[in-house]
Amino acid sequence: MRPHEFYVWMSYGMAALALLAEIVALRVRRRQSLRRIEEERELEAQD
Amino acid sequence: MNWFYLSSPSTFYRAAGHLAPWFFALAALLGAAGLYTGLVVAPTDAQQGEVYRIIFIHVPASWMSMFLYFVMACYAAVALTFRTRLAAMMARALAPTGAMFTFVALWTGAFWGRPTWGTYWVWDARITSELVLLFLYFGFIALANAFEDPRRGDRAAALLALIGVVNLPIIYFSVLWWNTLHQGSSVSFKGTSMHIAMLWGMLLMALSFWMYSIGTTLTRVRAIILERERRTHWVRGLPR
Repeated sequence: MRPHEFYVWMSYGMAALALLAEIVALRVRRRQSLRRIEEERELEAQD
Repeated sequence: MNWFYLSSPSTFYRAAGHLAPWFFALAALLGAAGLYTGLVVAPTDAQQGEVYRIIFIHVPASWMSMFLYFVMACYAAVALTFRTRLAAMMARALAPTGAMFTFVALWTGAFWGRPTWGTYWVWDARITSELVLLFLYFGFIALANAFEDPRRGDRAAALLALIGVVNLPIIYFSVLWWNTLHQGSSVSFKGTSMHIAMLWGMLLMALSFWMYSIGTTLTRVRAIILERERRTHWVRGLPR
């Protein structure tokens, strides 16, 4: 794979990075949604 | 199966939560098999050498970029016609994954083009129409989030999704309609000119990306449901 190693691994590397970034973004979004619900629950409980 | 029962966000939220991990597990298994077949089992290409192995990512990513747009447009049409909340949420959930696969298709295409054609980029009909697809995804996401009222955003983005469908046959047939640098399809319903191990590697990776897309879409739609339905009793009643 030597002469074109760079091109092959740049492709596989970026694909892996993109998939990983999406999974991380999904987890962050879910955590934010749950936190928002929790905050609204607490505000309601204070009222 | 009662589909109307599943179209309720509260029911779908729970069903998606149960199903998503299975789709991720399937994606991992198929991905491992596809990578093994593509990087170890498949022989070296007689003309391109090892660099052709980029196709095991590039082709499945390109297929998914178009397929996900088509599915997104179908959900958009259902949302516009029947005004169903879940269909609009599904269309929104599909867009980022579709955009990601479009980006991966363009990126891997560029890194395949440099050693093969001598350039990372060329304003070729296939590549340009794929870039237009990426902008359509970005436009959909931006439009869906541009309104205070999410239902207005749903309708505006759905319209854009439906108009953008015209780009799909342009991408697919561009290599036939115009004299392009991009090669034609090596795989069709009539058969293939590829080595069987190359074909299997590509199909396994395509299946893996498909399962991954279902997993991410189900996970994302759960977050969207939580955001939209956060003031309802069933969301308030969810365990902390």
